Amino acid sequence: MAKVELKGIGKVYDGNVRAVDNANIVVEDKEFLVLVGPSGCGKSTTLRMIAGLEDISEGELLIDGKVVNNVPPKDRDIAMVFQNYALYPHMTVYDNMAFGLKIRKFSKEEIVKRVNEAAKILDIEELLDRKPKALSGGQRQRVAVGRAIVRQPKVFLFDEPLSNLDAKLRVQMRAEISSLHNRLKATMIYVTHDQVEAMTMADKIVVLKDGVIQQIGSPLDLYNKPANKFVAGFIGSPPMNFMQVTATEENGKVFIDEGTFKMEVPGGEYLKSYVGKNLIFGIRPEDISYVPEAIPHKTMNAHVTVVEPLGAEIHVYLYTGKHQFIARVAPDINIAVDQKLNFTVDFSKAVFFDGETELVINK
Amino acid sequence: MKRRKQNTFIFWLFLSPVLFAFVVVIVIPFFLGIFYSFTNWSSSARADSVLTFIGLKNFYRIFRDPSFLYSFLITIIYTFLNVISINVVALVLAVVVTTKLKLRNLYRVGFFIPNLIGGLVLGYVWQFIFNNAIPAIGKAIPLLAGFANANNLILGKVDSSIVALVLVGTWQYAGYIMMIYIAAIEGVPESLIEAATIDGANSFQRFTSITIPMVAQAFTITTFLTLVQSFKQFDINVSLTAGGPSTMFMGKPIFGTELLSLNIYNTAFVANNLAEGQAKAVIFFIVLVIVSIIQVTVNKKKEVEM
Repeated sequence: MAKVELKGIGKVYDGNVRAVDNANIVVEDKEFLVLVGPSGCGKSTTLRMIAGLEDISEGELLIDGKVVNNVPPKDRDIAMVFQNYALYPHMTVYDNMAFGLKIRKFSKEEIVKRVNEAAKILDIEELLDRKPKALSGGQRQRVAVGRAIVRQPKVFLFDEPLSNLDAKLRVQMRAEISSLHNRLKATMIYVTHDQVEAMTMADKIVVLKDGVIQQIGSPLDLYNKPANKFVAGFIGSPPMNFMQVTATEENGKVFIDEGTFKMEVPGGEYLKSYVGKNLIFGIRPEDISYVPEAIPHKTMNAHVTVVEPLGAEIHVYLYTGKHQFIARVAPDINIAVDQKLNFTVDFSKAVFFDGETELVINK
Repeated sequence: MKRRKQNTFIFWLFLSPVLFAFVVVIVIPFFLGIFYSFTNWSSSARADSVLTFIGLKNFYRIFRDPSFLYSFLITIIYTFLNVISINVVALVLAVVVTTKLKLRNLYRVGFFIPNLIGGLVLGYVWQFIFNNAIPAIGKAIPLLAGFANANNLILGKVDSSIVALVLVGTWQYAGYIMMIYIAAIEGVPESLIEAATIDGANSFQRFTSITIPMVAQAFTITTFLTLVQSFKQFDINVSLTAGGPSTMFMGKPIFGTELLSLNIYNTAFVANNLAEGQAKAVIFFIVLVIVSIIQVTVNKKKEVEM
């Protein structure tokens, strides 16, 4: 269907406010791409530039190999689902879905056929005569998606479509949009601030911060090989733990010194050039394990501040004396607040970041 | 208990000034006026000395009064033209000043200013324009020489005088109605317009399919305001045409542009037929109430609930 390419795309608002800087993204045909980042990172602006709702200040936007910078939205063959659904309140569900087709002068039979098909897919057939006011949030969401799919566009754009739904419905709609993607085999670009949505739905994730792309990759790439501290901290829940440490070397072995503990980094030769310098030590909560006995240079001792039993696992909030961190431990371990416990770390999963640039140090 | 009594007292204490004014200026004259319409009150002297109750005679007489029937007719025509003219102009202006136009705030103020000038003053200003300025232009520019001819004076004929009344009425009121439309247009969620843009609608289609239905709520109030305002038009009528030029109706010479309010005024205060003027005012009130109720009911049905 369609490939979307962003080449050096930038957006500068008047008054020289830069919202997006030099974005280079390739969305392959039939790919589900998620733009994710905190509020104000430029993800929605990027999407709106693709939609044609914002002018592109710099760079080129290509759809199917054609530059569309100056093509109006209606001729870009895209459909968009808005955060607040943007259903036309004075039209019935049917008319909401048919509006784009009527404007494009489709035959009446074709319109009826497409709307009914879409209504069937989304299970909103019995709602076609209702006005948006008489629909629940989830139903409005479906209608908004329906309005997009009847058009059979080259590219679907979603602007935080699930953020107005309650948590349970959000999980359900997430799965439905994913299955819709599989069914329609269309190119989809999806904006969210929720990293869980990004991880669960995306073929490819683009992480943005302050208008600058931090990393592009598959969900697992981002999770396991973050490019910098921001991506590492943004992707994953609970987030990765960070500790300021200094690297030291003794007898050819590399150690990290946190101040309250010192641990040996097995296979840490790649850190030798950082000896004596400040590092950021990143470790995910699931890569920290409880050990009953302290082992010199293998464990750290920490004070339990909060225990969150979730049933399948326990999130333990710990304090080393200098840093807060979280560990995910098995539910069968008895842990109580105010205990002092020993933990070990899976250094094969740990990542280190340059203390100054916060970029990852490659192994 | 004591506190509650005190609260009630304070409530009425604060309400009393406005209540007093309302009763004295609106309620009492209203009912007194209805009473007078059934009497032979004919001068502004002490009414009780000569007052006799004459039943429906005043009403009987006014429905045979060509000037009243004529005024009714042209008031309806004037109202019809004026409501359309004001609303179309106001909506167009509102659309223009809600675009990304530079200096749009200046335009908003500019279009609103005629509303701040009294209708009497506006009427005289426009009378000068129609009677002096336009003929002067006709004299100066050979191509427009027709305007210099005294037979072609705009206020010299009934038809063009009514058009002139509509023009000045629009000039006065469109800026005010524009403000209501601006508020309504700015209340249309931007995302709806964007959704329609992506759906493929051009700016005209967006306007007719989205903006117009979404501002239907404003139509109720603007139509109501312009309808009532046009029906009650008095000040511009007095100053611009004073009812002239004259014409014939039902075989009698009458004022050609005498709208209902002016007709009532002339009956009551010029011809000194106070009771008959009052009877006309009662009819005027009843018609206005009926028309307004119908209009609001019809428009309400078209409103969009979000």
